[in-house]
Amino acid sequence: MTAAAPATARPPRPRSSLLAPAGLVLFVAITWWAASEELGIGFDVGELIGNLTRGADILAEFFPPNWSFLPATVEPMLETFAMAVLAGLIGCTIALPVAFLASRVTAPGPITYAIDRGLMSVVRALPDILYALVFVAALGIGPLPGILALVFFNVGVVAKLLSETIDGVDRGPIEAARATGANRLQTVRWAVLPQVLPNYVAYSLYAFELNVRASFVIGIVGAGGIGNLLNTERRFFNYDNLSVIVIEIFVFVMLIEIVSIWLRRRLV
Amino acid sequence: MSERVSTARPVRPSSRLKWLLTGVLFAVVAWAAISVEVEPDRLLELPGSLSTIFYRMFLAPGPDWSTLGGAFDAMMESVQIAWLGTIIGAILSLPLAFLGAKNVTSSFVSNVTRQVLNAIRAIPEILVAVVVFIPMVGLGPYAGTLAIGVHSIGTLGKLSAEAIEGIDPGPVEAARATGGNALQVQRWGVLPQVLPEIVAFWLYRFEINIRASAILGAVGAGGIGEFLVQALNFRRYDRAGMAIIVVIVITILIDLASGWVRRRIIEGGPVRRLTDRDLAMAEADTAIG
Repeated sequence: MTAAAPATARPPRPRSSLLAPAGLVLFVAITWWAASEELGIGFDVGELIGNLTRGADILAEFFPPNWSFLPATVEPMLETFAMAVLAGLIGCTIALPVAFLASRVTAPGPITYAIDRGLMSVVRALPDILYALVFVAALGIGPLPGILALVFFNVGVVAKLLSETIDGVDRGPIEAARATGANRLQTVRWAVLPQVLPNYVAYSLYAFELNVRASFVIGIVGAGGIGNLLNTERRFFNYDNLSVIVIEIFVFVMLIEIVSIWLRRRLV
Repeated sequence: MSERVSTARPVRPSSRLKWLLTGVLFAVVAWAAISVEVEPDRLLELPGSLSTIFYRMFLAPGPDWSTLGGAFDAMMESVQIAWLGTIIGAILSLPLAFLGAKNVTSSFVSNVTRQVLNAIRAIPEILVAVVVFIPMVGLGPYAGTLAIGVHSIGTLGKLSAEAIEGIDPGPVEAARATGGNALQVQRWGVLPQVLPEIVAFWLYRFEINIRASAILGAVGAGGIGEFLVQALNFRRYDRAGMAIIVVIVITILIDLASGWVRRRIIEGGPVRRLTDRDLAMAEADTAIG
């Protein structure tokens, strides 16, 4: 240990890269494009503030909530819940094999892997309401198109999360299973599945939570449940009824989240 | 090390909870299946009507390429809504993130802030649009932008607050030791550590918001959703097919571009690396708003 004096000279400033200013210019350009009157949506802060103050009068109509409307909301609310449950079950079941095909660890070959990954990003690129819109157009209004839309949405979310978990599994058990002569399916069943099962259950619960939220929304386009009712009340400007529905949705979402988080903690 | 390791099988963990949960699950599913009135004949028609609509959208007559320009413009409006909405959400969420971080404020303040953020997160943006902003500012892209902005605060605030909680306390102490006031400590001790990660969250939120704004049109808040709803109302499946193709292509392209920028920003980031799984979690959290 020679006592070398610590260098006290200032370290050289790292060379500034052109990337940061370029990014800033790009940011300003996109924002200008998006906010401009001719090319974009014509975003004007002054006008906005004027609108917001006018809107305060409308918001005042939400209060007090018309609680006598509550009984009429119970049935659609339960329908929404049932849709979320069924879609969650079906969606998460389908997501399981999809996820196994979408991980390098378990996919049988590069072609299956690529196709499955591609399909997954297409499924995930479309938001749930677009599915709902298309299915309502194809099947008519009611809970069925809503359930279908949620199934697609769930497969997208759960398969993506699970395939990434599978990518990170411990390879040891896989080698052990192979060494005992297990075929591909047996390896997946006994070496991979037990490792990711808790995560799978957690993701499924998570997807269910999202379903509850999403199923309020897809009702707005005619896919059944409380969203339908919300849309009707909105059309008739019954803001005091609307606030009952909103409060109910809010409470329901919070409850489901609390239960789901508790379950996930116990399981993982 | 002469002591022998016990080779007895470990006691099986109690499975009472498991059985209870399984029972509850079965009961709920059975109830759901019975209570949702899905007519069996409609279920049988399902594959037929789905393949018909798919056929009309993408095969014959297939997408109406003459409306490509219109669909593209509508999608660009959705992108603009998402961009401006994300900026609103980013600006408003940053101070809330500092308030919500336990290592910055007291645990009381951070708990209250977190609960507020959770509450914002719980209400889907389309609901915010329908219930609050469309009555306030009327139909059109304005309402969509504001709804997306408000809703984004919830997730952005939560994720950013968690990032702030994960910082190295060293620079904070150093800033304090040199006599920095509360604001200066945050500015020079905390912000540089978390900014790359937070900017990555913003970009990620932008990707999600594109999906969100694509759907807001369905309630009259502008963009590609409106285009699609009109096409479907008039049973113009060829136009709907075009719209769907535009949504998928543009969404994936922007995802790729934004993902590249995110990785550039995070590379060598001072805090922990964001894994794809973190982001996927964040996305799933907010995918439907």
